[in-house]
Amino acid sequence: MWQAFWALLGAAATVAACYAAGALMVDWAKAPLTKPERFPLSFVLGASLLHLIVFAMMALKIAYRPLVVAMLAVPIVSAVWKGAWRLRGDAVEPLSRVLRIFYGAIFTAFTIYYFFHAWAPESSPDGASYHLGLVARYLRVHGFEKIVTNMYAGLSAGVEMLYVPAFVIGKHSAAALVHYAFLVALATAMFAYGRRFGKPWVGAAGALLVYASPVVGLDGSTAYNDCGVAAIAFSVFYFLQLWDEVREPRLLIPIGLLAGYCYAAKYTAFVMTIYAIGFVAWRSRKMRSLLVVAGCAAAMIVPWAAKDWIYMQNPVAPFFDKIFRNPNRRVVTEQKYNDYLSTMGVENKWTLPLEVTIRGEKTGGLLGPIFLLAPIALLALRFREGRRLLLPGLLLFAPYFANVGTRFLIPCLPFFSLAMAMAISYPPALAAVLLFHAVASWPPIIPRYASKYSWRLDRILWQQAIRKIPQDRYLRQNLGGYGVARMIEDTVPKGVPVLAVNGLPDSYTTHEILVGFQSAYNDDLVDILNSGWDESRQPTRRMIFKFPAKSARRFRVLQTGVGAPLEEFKAHELRFFSNGAELQRDPAWRLRAWPNPWDVQMAFDNSPATRWRSWETASPGMYIDTDFGKYESVDEVRLDTSFDYANLRLQVEAMDPSGRWVKIASDPETKTIAPPVVIRKWATRELHARGIDYIVMQDTDWGADDMIDDPESWGFEVVAKGYGARIYKVVVP
Amino acid sequence: MAVLVSSCQSMPEPYAPPVQRQPFEEGRPHRMMRVVNTTDGDWIAHVVQDIPLSEPGPWKWTGQKPTVKVMTRTNQGLRYTIDFVLPEVTFKATGPVTITFLVNDHALESVRYTAFGDYHYEKAVPPEWVEPMKETLVAASIDKIWVAPADGAKLGFILTRIGLTQ
Repeated sequence: MWQAFWALLGAAATVAACYAAGALMVDWAKAPLTKPERFPLSFVLGASLLHLIVFAMMALKIAYRPLVVAMLAVPIVSAVWKGAWRLRGDAVEPLSRVLRIFYGAIFTAFTIYYFFHAWAPESSPDGASYHLGLVARYLRVHGFEKIVTNMYAGLSAGVEMLYVPAFVIGKHSAAALVHYAFLVALATAMFAYGRRFGKPWVGAAGALLVYASPVVGLDGSTAYNDCGVAAIAFSVFYFLQLWDEVREPRLLIPIGLLAGYCYAAKYTAFVMTIYAIGFVAWRSRKMRSLLVVAGCAAAMIVPWAAKDWIYMQNPVAPFFDKIFRNPNRRVVTEQKYNDYLSTMGVENKWTLPLEVTIRGEKTGGLLGPIFLLAPIALLALRFREGRRLLLPGLLLFAPYFANVGTRFLIPCLPFFSLAMAMAISYPPALAAVLLFHAVASWPPIIPRYASKYSWRLDRILWQQAIRKIPQDRYLRQNLGGYGVARMIEDTVPKGVPVLAVNGLPDSYTTHEILVGFQSAYNDDLVDILNSGWDESRQPTRRMIFKFPAKSARRFRVLQTGVGAPLEEFKAHELRFFSNGAELQRDPAWRLRAWPNPWDVQMAFDNSPATRWRSWETASPGMYIDTDFGKYESVDEVRLDTSFDYANLRLQVEAMDPSGRWVKIASDPETKTIAPPVVIRKWATRELHARGIDYIVMQDTDWGADDMIDDPESWGFEVVAKGYGARIYKVVVP
Repeated sequence: MAVLVSSCQSMPEPYAPPVQRQPFEEGRPHRMMRVVNTTDGDWIAHVVQDIPLSEPGPWKWTGQKPTVKVMTRTNQGLRYTIDFVLPEVTFKATGPVTITFLVNDHALESVRYTAFGDYHYEKAVPPEWVEPMKETLVAASIDKIWVAPADGAKLGFILTRIGLTQ
């Protein structure tokens, strides 16, 4: 029960602090808000401010509980003291009784589901893993730390910064409730927007189209951030309309802050920063106004870019690693990840409308069938307000095809929903549409038409929310991987990292879980692990280049072919021979490689379980270069590698005295060689050398059966088993 | 801008060769083991027939022909393995029994047991009986079953592990 209380308190305090900070700024900026607009717009604006303060505390490593609580108290006390706390504003025309009842009934019905879901133990896949896993990790060290083993640490996390104070007080559920507050703010702001331009039914319909949408309700009641992004993006738009009405220069500051906060919340929402700058440029044609907006936006953006630049050597980590080359993330891994996100198993893009509105399985959730009518939003072009809504909506929709998950449509949904409502306009028709949407989106109805495995709410979790059903029991039964995370917590010595092939809900363990695809380091670890059991990754191919003895200081193996997509250049060992005797590797040698210079030693360590990989699709010009530091005579070069690539063309080159590379051999003789009998122990030893002494394998992971069969041959001991997984300890390094 | 920023990146200096790894002095080859152990969390997923899923505890009473399915990556060097108990209570009623050990319905051997007690049986499996990466049925068939007077349950023997090893 106490968990439930602290969760509510943590969320309430955070939301109150955001509202208070925003209300203070709204008053200072002389924003001409109506009473219904005051809470949602102040809350979102305050969130942008508070996020920056939390960022600063994290950067300074002073995120201690008393300071965090004090940070929340300051704006609240200030707002109360200055009178900004009160919900006040210009009067608006009262709502009709019918609309009040209609809106109230639908809103309340869905709220019962959403509120208890947010309050219940956090069981969403991403919320329980990286969104809150990173928050929990930062809080353990009271601030940011350099994390290069988890690509998600590179994402801007403007909404998650608000989860920090909530989490400090009320843990996971408090964070989810904060996100839910963003959803409520979004719906409230949309409704208020309709009232502002004299069409309350349009506002109500737009708000409910979004609020009742299944994926919105589920996402908004977990510790994700998409509804937060939508609320921020819509607030940018809203403040721009207010500014355009009154041209109060001070309003440009909240506009700039919110526009920058879009980027801080999610990279793809950066389009709203551009939109805000463009809108102000178009309407004001004053450089000063532009500079104010751009400067305020930069105040929100630069800290995140700088953090990534300092920690990850890539200001937009974990993307564009081919431009911002760094040792922390692999180009191929990013490419595979992006390829997956851009399809999510939906090969025929023409089926996406059905997938995201009705089926909801492959793309994770559904918007609801009513959104098949989304094209009618174009009819709103006949109104000025409609034209203004559609442009930011289209901008936010533009990046969608890079990630076709249904929830990535949430940021543009408010704009299209309002435009759809505006296109219909006629209240009885809007009521009919809303009734259909509410019924179709009602959780018990969804299974009648959606995919059996669609991501959706299924029941009211009131017993779980108040912890009448204990949190631990609920999570063990409902969150895949939770039991494994707790098993790790109970079994693995404190502070020791654990290697995993697939992700786990990190936020429920204090251990660092090194997940295969999440960083270059993890990629290497999993490649080593897999080399133990996967013959296609083992050094079974020997390429032998023989040529008349050549004396040179530098030799290299150059790749000249064009690889198939994702086909890499790989080398387990590169050895040089003279008269049949290997040149012993000397500390004076200097090794270089391109395009992955960081791992070149893996081709010169005498281990069959490690290999240098280009980690990019092979292209001409890739090489491994050895500088002997003196002239050496070489007549044979051997490259031990694997058979998992075919389209590469390799040649050996020597550097002549003038510094030019001269080809001396190509078309190598290829032999099949046997890997060592104890290849698994080689792999284990390499993992141990990299600080990995615990490995968690879920029984369905690739290679898991090999370890289950014979852990001893790996040098493993099973230290825990359960929940469809095993934890292995390295005993023979 | 991106080009400008990326041009400021620092690439690492050339590396010296690392410490050379030494080969292991001894070691044995990996042994595959596809044994369904009734204490495993996922044993139910392997059951094909005649092993009641609701039976509590690690000792499972079987029907006449308990059968499990397992999958192997190879068909080389496989051995049938089973641990079972012929309980005194049934043995007194049935007398000596013959159990036939089967792989994909090929009879590996039939063994006559003339006393109750704990038994382990193991024997090499001809490679042609098993297709790699396809499910293999591993079974043991008892010739006489005991019918429990209380509830009429038809019981064969008590099983603790069955499967293929290498």
